[in-house]
Amino acid sequence: MLLNYIKIAWKVLLRHPFYTFITLFGISITLTVLMMITSFLDHLVGSHYPEQNRDKSLYVMNLFLEDSARTSQMGGPISYDFYKKYIETLKTPKRTSVSSMITSANSYINGKRIKVSTKYCDTNFWEITNYEFLEGKPFNQTNIANGDHVVVITDAMREQFFDSSSESVIGKMVEVDNEKYKVIGVVKAGPVTRILTFSDMFFPYNLPKSNYQRTGLQGTFVAIIEANSSSDFPEIKSEFENNVSKIPVPIKMGGTKYSIIDTHAQTYTDTMLYGVFHKEIGSKFYLVVGLVLLMLMGLPAINLVNLNVSRILERASEIGVRKAFGAPTRTLAFQFIVENIFITFIGGAIALILTSVGIYIFNRSGLILYSDLTINLPVFGVSLLVCLVFGLLSGVAPAFRMAKMKVIDALKRQ
Amino acid sequence: MITLNNIEKVYQTSTIETLALNNINIDIKKGEFVSIMGPSGCGKSTLLNIMGLLDEPTKGEILIDQKHVEQYTDKALALLRNQKIGFIFQSFHLINDLSVLDNVEIPLLYRNSSAQSRRDAAREALEKVGLSNRMKHFPNQLSGGQKQRVAIARAIVGKPDIILADEPTGNLDSAMGNEILNILLQLNAEGCTIVMVTHDESMAKKTHRLIRLFDGTQVY
Amino acid sequence: MLQHLIKLIWNRKGSHLLLIIEIWASFMVLFGVMSLVTFNLDNYRESLGFEYEQVWAIDLSRNQDTVQTADKIAKVLQRIKSYPEVEKVSQMSSNSPFSFSQMNSSISRKKTSTLSDIYYADENFDEVFDIKMKSGRWYQSSDSVAKNKPVVINQKTADALFGTENPIGKTLDDNKIVVGVIDNFKAKGEFTKNEPAFFQLMWPRSEEGKIIIKLKSGTDANFEAKLVKDLGNMLVGWTVEVSYLTDQRQNQHNMALVPMIVFAIIAGFLLLNVAMGLFGILKVNIAKRREEIGVRRAMGATEADIQKQFVAEMWVIATFAVLIGLLFAVQFPILKVFDLASGVYWVAIVLAILIIYGLVTICAFYPSRQAAKIQPAIVLHES
Repeated sequence: MLLNYIKIAWKVLLRHPFYTFITLFGISITLTVLMMITSFLDHLVGSHYPEQNRDKSLYVMNLFLEDSARTSQMGGPISYDFYKKYIETLKTPKRTSVSSMITSANSYINGKRIKVSTKYCDTNFWEITNYEFLEGKPFNQTNIANGDHVVVITDAMREQFFDSSSESVIGKMVEVDNEKYKVIGVVKAGPVTRILTFSDMFFPYNLPKSNYQRTGLQGTFVAIIEANSSSDFPEIKSEFENNVSKIPVPIKMGGTKYSIIDTHAQTYTDTMLYGVFHKEIGSKFYLVVGLVLLMLMGLPAINLVNLNVSRILERASEIGVRKAFGAPTRTLAFQFIVENIFITFIGGAIALILTSVGIYIFNRSGLILYSDLTINLPVFGVSLLVCLVFGLLSGVAPAFRMAKMKVIDALKRQ
Repeated sequence: MITLNNIEKVYQTSTIETLALNNINIDIKKGEFVSIMGPSGCGKSTLLNIMGLLDEPTKGEILIDQKHVEQYTDKALALLRNQKIGFIFQSFHLINDLSVLDNVEIPLLYRNSSAQSRRDAAREALEKVGLSNRMKHFPNQLSGGQKQRVAIARAIVGKPDIILADEPTGNLDSAMGNEILNILLQLNAEGCTIVMVTHDESMAKKTHRLIRLFDGTQVY
Repeated sequence: MLQHLIKLIWNRKGSHLLLIIEIWASFMVLFGVMSLVTFNLDNYRESLGFEYEQVWAIDLSRNQDTVQTADKIAKVLQRIKSYPEVEKVSQMSSNSPFSFSQMNSSISRKKTSTLSDIYYADENFDEVFDIKMKSGRWYQSSDSVAKNKPVVINQKTADALFGTENPIGKTLDDNKIVVGVIDNFKAKGEFTKNEPAFFQLMWPRSEEGKIIIKLKSGTDANFEAKLVKDLGNMLVGWTVEVSYLTDQRQNQHNMALVPMIVFAIIAGFLLLNVAMGLFGILKVNIAKRREEIGVRRAMGATEADIQKQFVAEMWVIATFAVLIGLLFAVQFPILKVFDLASGVYWVAIVLAILIIYGLVTICAFYPSRQAAKIQPAIVLHES
């Protein structure tokens, strides 16, 4: 029976190629845009290489100092000292790690400048992140203790610094910012958008240029806290806030007395939003994103409903004949809905292909270095659901209108 | 008024050629009330459309007030229709989303007349057909007879020289039909030339002249 | 005629409601995108106020070195000046033009104050960036001994603090004296707003910050490598990083352009979608109104009249939609949402209206032509 409906739907589509084209175009383009956006958002905030533990991690990125009147404010990443005293001492987390915000340095090879992102990190960094080692291994406690000038580089840097011969680069030297370092590991590069873990080169945190000895609460470091599970988040947060509350205030700096220390252990998304807006705006942000998506979806949806509602009369005589021969309204309405869902799914399939192509081009374009956008299952699932809502939305209204049409009116129409 | 010489109309589809009208010669004089009769499909409506400049004959001459119109542009033809001809149709063809008054005004929209003068002319035309109390109504609130009276008001609002009525009583019961015929007779008495296609022998008898068509040919 | 059409559309408002909502939503999307575009282009028209070609920024950070750092900086400046490739040298705070670093503070004079970007720079800053004085002069190192600290402000700051007065020679709070006024200074690139700026003599010289050098044309990365090597030998343990201002400018441009392009593409697809939808709906609507078209033709409407009518009807519908949209859009300039100049919103509103009318005209044109070609003789005998 259903197969029969689909057959009719197919014939109807072929009979009006122009409208079929408009409808398919609308559905597929809208879904493509929607899927690209969700895919990009997922790329930004989801748990992906090398931060596969992101969903069970908390981050301490910024620390703001404010005076009691809240007129003067100083914000920035935390210091190594702060990490050592108030984060490494936390008891609830599985492990914690400290790494510097990326800085850039230059390297010169044969008159060519290579811009290198550099990051200083501890040994735990390699446990918390999932960097895949193509060669060698990460630095360990011994390297740290000896103050070794060692470095882990990405495969992209390996290509830049060494001729692409197949021999291992482990043990070779690279010169960055006038200092020589021994390569001890090569990892697969991650996307630049994972700003807390991305870098081209990773150095032990205790090399002098990392400025880890700097005193005070603020510095150049970020802490990643991995919990056993996300259910431990509240406990870790309260433990951290408790630690911070023990810091004696006010803190005098440059003639200003700062008495409020504003820093939080937050999930990745919250950390990024807090960094930009310095306010707890999680729900508001989602509301805005939701509204934009609604607008994106709403406009084509209205468009489709509009077109379908207008076209219903075009088929009035067909409906009249069927009704006159005794087809119940329910069957006809069902046929209409099947037709709409059917075309929506075809549109969805086209969108899936377009999105794959779009993502492929995006990843290859180098617009975001080493980007790894994918159509993942949740995104596809949501899109399919959206497809259905689309189909029903644009199918039910006309079907309902048709159901009310009297046989004689329907037959009279052209 | 309207003169048709040797009119021939052929409908061509990819497979068949249908001769709708063949060698028609008619001369309608000013002040005449002429009826056209014939069985279904004999070409009555085609003839009326050609007279009303809505359709072009395949062959033959049309003269309006002794002027040849075969070479007229769309614009010139539209002007002639607007100034000289009023139409009444079997199925009324009123615009359902416009009030009675607005429907009657339509021919005047295509002339340079002010809103006020349109309004006055439409009121006057509606009074003539006895519908001045229905001006604010919409077509679907009216009976068939009332609708056709609105259509007549619309046909006369521009004071045309000739009214072409295509089975004006065809969709009405006999009482209403007679009412409509009486209005047309009244208009004719006031000097309006009328050509009416009809199926009703008794109505045709009340007119000055009868043209019979059979299979596209003038019988007499 | 217009009155007639408005009446016709008003009486059909039920079936036109969705169409009006659709055009309204398109208008809102266009208004948003056009606001962004207008804002950026409006900024782009204002000149930068300085030259950046062949200018490099050398970022110095002393890290844990604390031994005679001022001395080392002085030596480094001397060394850089001695290269034949270098034309001009200046030292400034880390917020060099096109960098992602920013410093601002409130500058006040008597009762008035303005939030201004603050730059600490030495006496050669204007030469490195080829900044033209509007009035007064750039400060000199000899000014450092004066009781009042010499500062240079840009026109924007002058407007905010002095209005129509001539600021030269006037003092600001904290013993500062204005010695010169420059025109625009848009440090973050052409697409940013021309904000108030304020330059103060860097005295004594900072031990960090940036050294800005202007090079003779034709200088390449080989010199850069040599320069970095030399500086590395002089500044052991320091971090030395060279950036080209042209590259940094490109980064700043991308920050402004990428969102604009992304929104414009998305809006473009949405509008294409809407345009095709409108086109389809109009075709269907005209098919439904064949009878009416026939009547109008019989009553004396020319083909052109019919075409005009359908295009005009779309304009009337678009006008309804735009009027509703305006109710929303005018809130932005009135309530000062997003801190943009209200002129930007008005221009965006005008552009959005123009595009909407253009769009509906294009969409209505072809179906209306088809409508005009309908044969009255046929449609009037269909029922």
